[in-house]
Amino acid sequence: MNIFNRFFLRLLLAPTGLYRRIGVNPLHLRAILIAKLTMDDRRPAGLHQMRRKKEKEKPTTGATLGTMFFTALMGCFFLFSFGVGGDAMTQYTFYFSFYIFILASTLISDFTSVLIDVRDNMIILPKPVTDKTFLLGRLFHIIIHVAKLVLPMTLPGMIYTGIISGIPGLLPFMVLVLLASLFTIFLINALYVFILKVTTPEKFKNIISNFQIFIAILFYGGYQLLPRLMGKTALEGYSLTSAKWAVVYPPYWFAASWQYMKTFDLASPLVIYFVLSIIIPVLSVWVVIKYFAPSFNQKLSMISGSGDEPVAAKTNSKDILSTTSSYITSVANWLTEKGAERMAFLFTYKMMGRSRDFKMKVYPALGYLAVFVVVMFLNNKKLSLAQIQQETGQGKFVFISIIYFCSFALSTALGQLTFSDKYKAGWIYYVTPIHNPGRMYSGAVKATIIKFYVPLVAIIFCTAIAIVGPKVIPNLLLGFFNQVLITILTAYLTLNAFPFSVQQSTSMKGGKFIKGLFALAIPIMLAIVHYFIYSYLIVIIMLCLLSGIATWLMMDALKNKNWEQVYAREYEG
Amino acid sequence: MDPIISLKNVYKNYGDKKVLKGINLDIYPGQVIGYIGPNGAGKSTTVKILCGLISDYEGEVSIEGINLKVDPIAVKARIGYVPELAELYDVLTPAEFLGFMGELYNMPKELATDRIAKMLAAFGLEANMHQRMDTFSKGMRQKVLISSGLLHNPDIIILDEPLSGLDANSVIIVKNLISKLAKDGKTIFYCSHMMDVVEKVSDRIVLINEGTVIADGSFEELQQQQGNISLEKIFAQMTGKESLSDAADQLMNAFGK
Repeated sequence: MNIFNRFFLRLLLAPTGLYRRIGVNPLHLRAILIAKLTMDDRRPAGLHQMRRKKEKEKPTTGATLGTMFFTALMGCFFLFSFGVGGDAMTQYTFYFSFYIFILASTLISDFTSVLIDVRDNMIILPKPVTDKTFLLGRLFHIIIHVAKLVLPMTLPGMIYTGIISGIPGLLPFMVLVLLASLFTIFLINALYVFILKVTTPEKFKNIISNFQIFIAILFYGGYQLLPRLMGKTALEGYSLTSAKWAVVYPPYWFAASWQYMKTFDLASPLVIYFVLSIIIPVLSVWVVIKYFAPSFNQKLSMISGSGDEPVAAKTNSKDILSTTSSYITSVANWLTEKGAERMAFLFTYKMMGRSRDFKMKVYPALGYLAVFVVVMFLNNKKLSLAQIQQETGQGKFVFISIIYFCSFALSTALGQLTFSDKYKAGWIYYVTPIHNPGRMYSGAVKATIIKFYVPLVAIIFCTAIAIVGPKVIPNLLLGFFNQVLITILTAYLTLNAFPFSVQQSTSMKGGKFIKGLFALAIPIMLAIVHYFIYSYLIVIIMLCLLSGIATWLMMDALKNKNWEQVYAREYEG
Repeated sequence: MDPIISLKNVYKNYGDKKVLKGINLDIYPGQVIGYIGPNGAGKSTTVKILCGLISDYEGEVSIEGINLKVDPIAVKARIGYVPELAELYDVLTPAEFLGFMGELYNMPKELATDRIAKMLAAFGLEANMHQRMDTFSKGMRQKVLISSGLLHNPDIIILDEPLSGLDANSVIIVKNLISKLAKDGKTIFYCSHMMDVVEKVSDRIVLINEGTVIADGSFEELQQQQGNISLEKIFAQMTGKESLSDAADQLMNAFGK
């Protein structure tokens, strides 16, 4: 129990008499909240992090304080919005946009994982606790949880506002933060209700995680691209007050309302936003209570699935066969040896496509990469299409960069390959008679290349040939072989466990870090060499052949790793 | 004598699916009821209704003469429930978790603390009392769950597969505990798939299939009806849709070419 929890607890539990009158047992309420807050405090910050249960490692305590600290840091980032725009209205619109956006994307996962814990149904409901007590306990838990996010997140903003505008600015700001938070909760609720309407609870979690990936990329992309697209000076002088669309943009209401509350001038045209900023959150809370809440709980408990309802068996024989698409089966037949390697290939390919855990880690990284590439293009103001076509100077540079950038996508995917939440299922590798564990590696690496590299290569090849013409093909091929070679080499050196068989741990070991650097350095070095020999066709073709042969040999080496060479990890189950 | 648990014409549907189709059951104090049935027969639905987890059923359920729909809180205070699967807040320690349970059952703190320590010690968990349960084995969790169901000394104890994960010694402890509790006048509602255990511990066996009670009586009574065979065989005779040995044959045939 830290100081914050104790403070909130005392505050919320103060009106005991009132609670008794409405049929809530204050002692039960207190017990529920204490249990919930204690659990929050022990829950590691990241959802997937630090689940290690080794006694040597310190169990998580004070997770709350850590989370609050990071949230405050995040809040500092919002201060960037005060560097944008010419007037306070624009700045605060940006601030509230950031705030609502980030709060929503933080809370969206908490709602299923932390706030609505379905175990409550089994543990608390059979006890003699009134429904009202139970619901109020849950509501208070949500309030405390949100408050612990909101306070540190807006603290930097409050300090800034306090310094710039003094008390007359600070007080309205605090009120508006509260209102904006209510509005955000409404948005999340509405989103949940909407998603549950259009889809089944089983797909719900996937949708939410895809949504989070999207949000993360969008945020990073917006942050990187917006200033560049608009130009720095344009951004500094930018004013929203003239924009017509601002009228329907909620963060603008909050900003305008803040402006209004500093003076309370009834004649000001801003009064309408003041009214909106108060009424809309209040109205949305009412909608949540009246329409969303009753069915919400029940639906959420369906998400975690009590397992009462049997899964509808696929009756159509076609459906059963189609779980493995014919495309990937034929690729597997063509690329892999029969047996362990093919099994590893298909297994890895499917797991990468279906494991939520894996997608959550790899796809955002891929998105960031894409944004980075675009940023690089935009930064090169001198760059023109003609330059790329003539393969000179800048053009050559961009071309090489893009080809070799893909290796980061590959190494990200490769780095996550061995980790899984369901790592215990790794027993399958140890009980089955696998003669050459190397086959498992080679199959998995091939699947990674097919899944994450080939689509990219296809796009790059097509675009490059379309822009530059067939003369670029040798260079493309060299780039391709080098990439594959690097990947296999990295796999040979770093892959030390079977796919999806190890528990994710946060502690980055020193050796791992060096290996990571190494994996970064090799493609950069190769890219530089490639840059200098770019125009010598004969050399390129020679190297292309060499690289191809090396790739083949390297793959063979990986494939033939035996049990002694494999760092035989203990089964962690 | 008035029944301590009484179900009259209890129906429950999940959408179109009828799970309970008119359950009638009177249970008397001090009885150990073995509640058995195949998967999907409606066992856990019945248990969930008795524990107040499901409230939208049809029919009448009363416990110690109190209608479950009228005063669920009073009913819940009289029941101790040990759920199937280890559903507990595993980042808490057993002492914290059971203390929390005690507070929800309105137990005075000193009494709860004292009892928790004694119960955990009896299960051999005194050394683990202040360790987080996320490191616990399935059996250890089950012991904590059993303690949480008995903590407030309830009149009715509902056990849903209470022996799962327990080692042989703990199984003996729990079996002895069940008969001692029954002697003490407690009513025990025992749900299980383990027929040999049910056969031994329960003095009345209720067999349900597809939402209705198809057999009700002591093991000896069931044997009189079905022949002098084990409960496992009786169960198979009454609920097996096809001959079970055929299924085994089919499994063996799967090896053939």
